[in-house]
This record gives sequence, C-alpha cells and structure tokens, in this order.
Amino acid sequence: MDNRYLIAGFLLVIPTIVLLIVPMYNRVNPELFGLPFFYWFQGIWLFLAAIMYVIAAKLITQKEEEAEAA
Amino acid sequence: MNNDTIIVFIVLFAVFTALGFLASRFRRGEGKRLDEWALAGRKLGMYLAWFLVGGDLYTAYTFIAVPSAMYAAGSIYMFATPYVMSTFAVALVVMTSLWKISKRKNYFTAVDFVRDKFNSRTLAVLIAATGIVAELPYIALQIVGMQAVLQVMIAPYFAGTTLFDVETVALILSFTILAAFTFWSGLRGAALTAVMKDAIILTSVIVVVIAVPLSVTGGFHHAFQVAQASGKAAGSYMTLSPALTNAFISLFVLSALALYLYPHAINGVLGSKDAKSVRYSTAMLPLYGVGLFLLTLFGVLIYIVPKALSAVVAGGSGGGALVVPELIVNTMPAWFAGFAFLGIFIGGLVPAAIMAISQANLLTRNIIREFRPNFEEKLEHNIARWASVGFIFLALGFVYLIPHTYAISLQLLGGILITQTLPPIMIGLYTKWLDKNALIGGWFVGIITGVYFVEAANHFGAPTKSLMASPFGLLYVAAIALLLNFVVVIVWSAVSNALGKNPATEKEAEKA
Repeated sequence: MDNRYLIAGFLLVIPTIVLLIVPMYNRVNPELFGLPFFYWFQGIWLFLAAIMYVIAAKLITQKEEEAEAA
Repeated sequence: MNNDTIIVFIVLFAVFTALGFLASRFRRGEGKRLDEWALAGRKLGMYLAWFLVGGDLYTAYTFIAVPSAMYAAGSIYMFATPYVMSTFAVALVVMTSLWKISKRKNYFTAVDFVRDKFNSRTLAVLIAATGIVAELPYIALQIVGMQAVLQVMIAPYFAGTTLFDVETVALILSFTILAAFTFWSGLRGAALTAVMKDAIILTSVIVVVIAVPLSVTGGFHHAFQVAQASGKAAGSYMTLSPALTNAFISLFVLSALALYLYPHAINGVLGSKDAKSVRYSTAMLPLYGVGLFLLTLFGVLIYIVPKALSAVVAGGSGGGALVVPELIVNTMPAWFAGFAFLGIFIGGLVPAAIMAISQANLLTRNIIREFRPNFEEKLEHNIARWASVGFIFLALGFVYLIPHTYAISLQLLGGILITQTLPPIMIGLYTKWLDKNALIGGWFVGIITGVYFVEAANHFGAPTKSLMASPFGLLYVAAIALLLNFVVVIVWSAVSNALGKNPATEKEAEKA
C-alpha cells in the first residue's frame, strides 16, 4: 500500500503538534548560548520543520507526477 | 551616531526609489492590465518565489512590533516563532490547491474563487470588504515601523528645539512617502524593486542578528536575568507563565491560520510558475523564521544595553517600538546603521504599498465590478490608484489608536477579522458541502462576536488587548469568534443539505 500522502500529512503536522505541547518545553534548563530552553527549543524547530516540510513536498509532488503520468 | 547614518540612508533610498521609478517606465506597456502586474504573469520559479515571499516576511511586524511586545510583556510574544513555523504547513497544502484552481479558472484573488464556487454576490462582497478592512490596521503597523526608524534617525537634529515634535515629523514623513510611493509606483514599482528590497533587508537582518548580540557585553544569559529582575512583565521572561499557556497556543495557531487569508499574501503565491514551486518554496520558508526568532530576542537583549534602554524608556508608552532601531544605533557603526535603517524602513514601505494596492484591487475588481460589470479599464485603474491612497489615510487613524509599544495589537486586530473568511476560502477549496447562506450567517456571527469581545476585553476603549477571559484561561479573541462562526456554518449547512436546499450539492445529486 502506498502511504506517501499519509506520511506527508504527518510530516506537516508534527512540528505544530510538538509546539502545541507547551508544558513539555516551558522550562529554563538546559540553556543553550544563554537562552532558556523555552526559547531555543522553539528556534530549533524552525530548522526541523523546514526539513520535514521539504520531504513532505517531495512526497506529494512525486505522487502527483505519477498520477499525471498514469 | 553621526551624519553618516542619515547620509547612507538618504543616498540608498534615493537609489532605491529611482530604480523603482525607472524600472516601471522602462517596462511600461508590457502589461496593460493592472492584474498582470499583480501576479507578475505567474512566472516566478521556486527559488525566486522563496526569496521574494521570504523577504516579505520581514515587515514592521518582525522588526518593530514583535521585539517591542517582547520587551514590554515578555515570553508570551514568543508565539511569533511557532506561528511562522506552522503557517507554512497550512500554506503548503492550501495555497497549492488555490494556485491550481486559480490557474485553471483564471482567478486573481481569493474572492474570485469564492464568488465562482458559491455563486453568491453577497458572500463575495462580504469577503472582499473583510479583506479591505483587515488590512487597515496591518498597514498602520507598517507606518509605525517606518516612523520608529525615522524618529531614531532624525532625533539628534531636533535636540533642543521645542518648535517641532520629532515623533509627529517622523509620522508625517512616513505617511507622505508611503502615499507617494503607492500612488506613483503601483504594483509595478513594488514588484520590480522587490529583488533589491529583499537583498537589502535580508543582508541587514543577517548582519544585525549576528553582530548586535556579539557586540553586547554579557550575552543572553545575563540579559534574561536582568529582564526577569526588571519586574516589568511580572517576571515572565525566562519561561511562559502557565496561566498563559492557552493564550500562547491560541495566538500562534490563529495567527498561523490568518496569514494566508490576507489579500496581499495570496497575491504573492498566485504569482508562482507552477504548483510545484509553490510547494517547495513554501516548504523552505520556516528558515526565514530564524531571523524573526533572533529579532524577538532583541526585546530581551535591550535590557543590558543601558543607552538603548534609557532611550526606549524615555519614549514612554510608544518607546517599545524603538527597541531594534536603538539597539542598532548603539552597537553598530554609523554607516551600517544607515543601511539597516533603510532595510527596516522599506521593509515597512513596500509591504504597506502592496497591502494598499491589494485593497484597491479588491475594491475595483470584486466590489465595484460586481455592480457595474462594464466599467472602463482606465477608470478602474484611476479609482484603484486613488483608493489605495485613501486606504493609507484611513490606516493612519489606527496609528493613533494604540500606544506604539503594543503595535502588535494592530496585526492581531486584523487577524480577528480576516480569520472569519477562513470557512469559505480554505474549507471551500475542498468541499461542496458548505451552504452559501450558512457561510454568510457564520461570517456575521464571527465578525460581530469578534468585534464585541475585543471591545469588551478593552472596556470599550483603545483595542490594545486581543485576549479575552474564557473557561480555558485567556484566549485570543479570534479563536472564539472563529469557533462560533464554524458552529453556525456547520449546523446550518447540515440542515440545508438534509433538506436538499444547498444548490451546489443538489446539482451533484441531479447528475448522479
């Protein structure tokens, strides 16, 4: 079975779901470059989200192109 | 600061406007129709689209409003980072769908889509009007940003004179430049200067977010300690007060849903070459959020730069808007401050112009044409031009409404209104189940409750707060208003579908 749309969907919602769980990262330690955890954790997710979104974009595009070719 | 700052600023600004003006003359006649310029002929490739849309992210919201709110009220305004992260996931899906249908059916605005899909003039006009009104406070926010930069730059030349108030002079200059730029350049000028604008802005963002923290003695750890000890925002800098968790969540989620409903944001997307470029360029956009993330932290960094901090404090209720300009002036060489100021200034100017022009387009294309289908193109162009200036003037009213430290409230206010257009635009893309009258009813409920709640939260005074009390703690008003909107839309659509009164699904049934 081809789950590419499903996987793409997960990749798109995971970053948002993680940051919705505020109590998980709402703390001071460990610090990074002097930033409390609450801050740098959110910053890191900008990079992770970009990577996950690009993979999702790739999966969706692949699937669409195959559908067009068929 | 010495004269270098203002000289660099003026010279670069002159080059910027001259190029925009020349470019628009040079290419005149290539596209006679206003809307061809609006969408740049749907020719933008993946990387150019990424570059341009990314540059558009750096408006006065990022440079002025978010750092200001962070300085004054602390960690709750970190919501801007997850907001930009999530908004691109929404856009990646929804905007690709909108791009496809717009290409196929030759739509130029989201209202074109709503008009055609639901075949309702009333709904289309309501959505267009919402777009126009919601842009007004957003434009006001850009004017606040332009004003803040000019104020910091010209203040030394006004020291000792009581004849002129430097704030007022900066505001008049900002407004006049914006109105003139919008009127003369139009979307043509705005689009043609986009590459240069974004190059200036992104260069200054990169240098500023790296160089300023490095040149401040003490580092972030120290800055957070000092901010926390300042007692300014009840000690909520190191972490988020647990009572504000739901406020934080509702601000970030609703802002993420709102961004791509604004007419000016949709404009940019529809200019892309193909659905694939929309998808990939959007996927990479969270990377631009890194600049926003670091600029947010400037609101904390200011606490350990005493000269900058005292200037901000001296600014009174509007002082927060000066956080980033003051940090730049007090830590960077004078000539670079001029360059960075230009970045922030045109970072407000160009988006404000584009917003005013998208308002004018909605007015002529989706409202006036609705009632006078045959009106002349030349007249349409003239009305659009004057209307864009008129809208900037209306936006000026909002500039006076709110103490500039809380300029972010202007954007949040616009967000309450614009999210009420979500059901027909975003949900409407994927289903025929929604009834047009249900959407109209939902819109009324959402707008009326939204405006009422926000006014009630501010005791019917200046709308500086956009959070309201609820059984779940403080929540962003847009969340409640959109929820009520949805309830009406869903219940009404369910009833009308059950009774077979929804023309869209009925047609389907006949075909089957």
